[in-house]
Amino acid sequence: MSITIKINGEQRTVDADPDTPLLWVVRDYLGMTGTKFGCGIMQCGACTMHIDGVATRTCMFPLSSLEDKEVTTIEGLGKDGLHPLQEAWVKNNVPQCGYCQSGMLMAASALLATNPDPSDEEIEQAVSNLCRCGTYHRVKATIKEVAAAQKG
Amino acid sequence: MLTEQKLTRRNLLLSSFAIAGGFALSVKVPAIGAAAKFPTVGTPFPGLTLPEDFSAWLAILEDDTVVVRSPMPEIGNGVLTQVGMTIAEELRCDITKLAPEFTSPERDAMDNGVFTNAVTSSSLAFFCGRSTDALRTKAMLQAGASARERLKAAAADEWGVPVAEVTAENSVLSHKSGKKLRFGEVAAAAAKIELDAEPELKPESEWTILGKTEPGKIQNEQIVQGQIVYGIDVILPGMKYAALMQCPVQGGKLVSYDESAIKDMPGNPKVIVVDPTEKRIDPLIPPAYGPMAWPMWGVAVVADHYWQARKALEALPIEWDPGDGAKWTDDATLKEYAFSRIESGEIEPTVTIGDQTAIDSGEVISAEYFTPYCDNAMLEPLNGTALVTDDSVDFWFSMQNQGQYWSVVSQEAEMAPENTRLHQTFVGGAFGRHNWGDEGYMITAVAKKMKGTPVHVIWSREETFAQGRYRDAMASKLSAVLGKDGYPVAIKAESVAGPLAGYYQHPMLMGLIPNATAGWENINTHILTGPYRGPGYNSASFMIESFTDELAAAAGIDPLEYRLKLYSKWVDPGWVKVLETVKEKAEWGKKLPEGQAQGVAICNWAADLQAEPPFFGSTIACVAHVEVTKDGKLTVHSLDVAFDLGKVMNKDAVLAQLQGGTLFGYNMSMNEGLTLNNGAFVETNFDKYPVFRMGDVPEVNIHFEGLSGDDRFSETGEVGVGPVGPAIANAIFAATGKRVRETPFRNADLSWS
Repeated sequence: MSITIKINGEQRTVDADPDTPLLWVVRDYLGMTGTKFGCGIMQCGACTMHIDGVATRTCMFPLSSLEDKEVTTIEGLGKDGLHPLQEAWVKNNVPQCGYCQSGMLMAASALLATNPDPSDEEIEQAVSNLCRCGTYHRVKATIKEVAAAQKG
Repeated sequence: MLTEQKLTRRNLLLSSFAIAGGFALSVKVPAIGAAAKFPTVGTPFPGLTLPEDFSAWLAILEDDTVVVRSPMPEIGNGVLTQVGMTIAEELRCDITKLAPEFTSPERDAMDNGVFTNAVTSSSLAFFCGRSTDALRTKAMLQAGASARERLKAAAADEWGVPVAEVTAENSVLSHKSGKKLRFGEVAAAAAKIELDAEPELKPESEWTILGKTEPGKIQNEQIVQGQIVYGIDVILPGMKYAALMQCPVQGGKLVSYDESAIKDMPGNPKVIVVDPTEKRIDPLIPPAYGPMAWPMWGVAVVADHYWQARKALEALPIEWDPGDGAKWTDDATLKEYAFSRIESGEIEPTVTIGDQTAIDSGEVISAEYFTPYCDNAMLEPLNGTALVTDDSVDFWFSMQNQGQYWSVVSQEAEMAPENTRLHQTFVGGAFGRHNWGDEGYMITAVAKKMKGTPVHVIWSREETFAQGRYRDAMASKLSAVLGKDGYPVAIKAESVAGPLAGYYQHPMLMGLIPNATAGWENINTHILTGPYRGPGYNSASFMIESFTDELAAAAGIDPLEYRLKLYSKWVDPGWVKVLETVKEKAEWGKKLPEGQAQGVAICNWAADLQAEPPFFGSTIACVAHVEVTKDGKLTVHSLDVAFDLGKVMNKDAVLAQLQGGTLFGYNMSMNEGLTLNNGAFVETNFDKYPVFRMGDVPEVNIHFEGLSGDDRFSETGEVGVGPVGPAIANAIFAATGKRVRETPFRNADLSWS
């Protein structure tokens, strides 16, 4: 099916099978590879994007359900330069292999957009992505640091 | 076959995929490598003909960019940053101008082994290894110093002044007259200059970057924007995707498939069979580790897009013959077999120290331990891309050792070494998985049947789990006789395990106990195994350190004090310092409520006592603070870790590796174990193979005060996983009186009254 989607502020037309998951539409048809394939069953969170601002695991989200929705990927997270989370991520040397980090950042940014002062438990719940390298402590500390800075 | 591997155990132990890092400290330099633009996919390795080349290791461009070439992959440990720091130390360039990239084995071969020769006298003489290896560090420092002196000579020529009056700092050459030139302005001239003699390296005491700064990863800014190219991100013009399936029981055969079932599906699906019985040439290049893999039966569906290939593969009727592996019906069968071999008394000792009858001379304390098969479970699923033409093969993959894949890809494509071009991508987690070359055979086998078309082969997560090169299972019986003082006079280890496990690199079996025996027998299942963070060490540390705790309990001595006295006699004084550090930092012995307790463990990775002088490797101790409710719910509150690598080159890189290694060991011990079902594994995705999430992990405190300052920069990647499991098991015993002698702990009944 041919469908026009709004992604990172741009209208893009995709001709793909309607059951193609958004993850593969974005990676394989639109050539944006920042969002990762990890498990295919919405367990790991590497494929997290924002759909209408909500952090969504897209490896099982079919293209056919995307009509009239706005998508943001890691490529569109920083509108003018880096998002404050991305900046803090670099400063605190958060990534190790880096593969899960796009998903982590998308989950964290959606959280802070709706909850500027999350508790530890709220962070753990919203950013439940898998990281095999073991960056969890730095991820949590960095989200809290950015939240605190934004609060002023 | 694996049992005939050429790689010796010792070689493997010393072959690390990690780095060590910095002692002290000062300020962070997050702007390192601000110039870094990582090579885009599809470009061949840069280099040979660049006029700016100073050596294979580095080139300086007109805009002062310093291209630094790493023979090592970046697997999340900061290798590229380490390489940049090392070159900059002697080159004296502006560190924001560093632009590291990956080099390749073709470059190495065409340049007379420039990279591999740097490490020939160590066991790391291949395209892998750790970035602070002493010989490699020296080679990189020399490359930097040589380039600096040539830049100075070029500036001196330009100004007509003696070279001794020229200084180099921060990518600028200066003369006392006030004249200045940027490195990039004289780089082309300098590259043509030959020095009469290689410059001497400055002493370590004058280093200003290594051990003095702790920059973050040079590629962080690209990672956080999703710009880094991992294997899975390779997209080439005209590329097709393949979804691959192999027999769910390893070693099984393809019986039949029905292509007509998918012929009308979208994406022009086409079946390609990988047939291991097809005749193949012998390797044209010796594989780095020896032959560790071979082609396996496989069915691939190639289509225009990945989702189309995957759906067609799922719809394709395929019949497999599981073969002999199906006889391993369940875990109980495996364990029964392994322990029956131990009980047979037929396991030949490979370590014999002192009097072999001493173990029969008194009351014997014995315990049996077991660790299961585990999967590396790196987050990037298995995948890779190959383009085979009549004249050449190009191969893009998240390799951990290009040397192995160069051999494999060349052999499978039947292509000469110089026409076998490897493209190292970033690696989405490895933990040992991408070493043996098995994926290289499968990817190339598919692509060679699509000549002229690049094919990106992707294993689903389920297939990635099903086709692991797993952490070996290990069964072991440990026995000891204690002297009057409560310390062992004799110890014996009998193990049945896969080829990378079953042995003990631990003082107790390396001479600390006067009488020692250790033997190992291959478990010989059909399960294919390979490196997994800390091969052998990750199981053996759990067993020997749990057993040490049992001996301390039998002697009625506090387990930490017991170890302090035991290791006070060890050749490496670092062990006691590490124990003292963790004792103090974790407040060992602090009063805790009922149901809570501490446990301790200590172990070592990569020591080589036969080396001259002895190499003490990486020593690490952990104190776990746990709580077990009466109905058996286990909570680990904190893990305190102290360690000794000698010295470190990048403190924050070491910290990250130890934080990660500790959590890896935590997950391994608490969660991980694959379950056999008629030769196949039950767990095929993260729903059944649990990996802890952010909310599940304990407080982790890494203490640098245990560093001895000994003259070595030992590695950090593997060592962290070792002491976590036994420290937790020993704390569980202290809290409940129950010994847990098997991982994962989530399967244990810990209820107590």
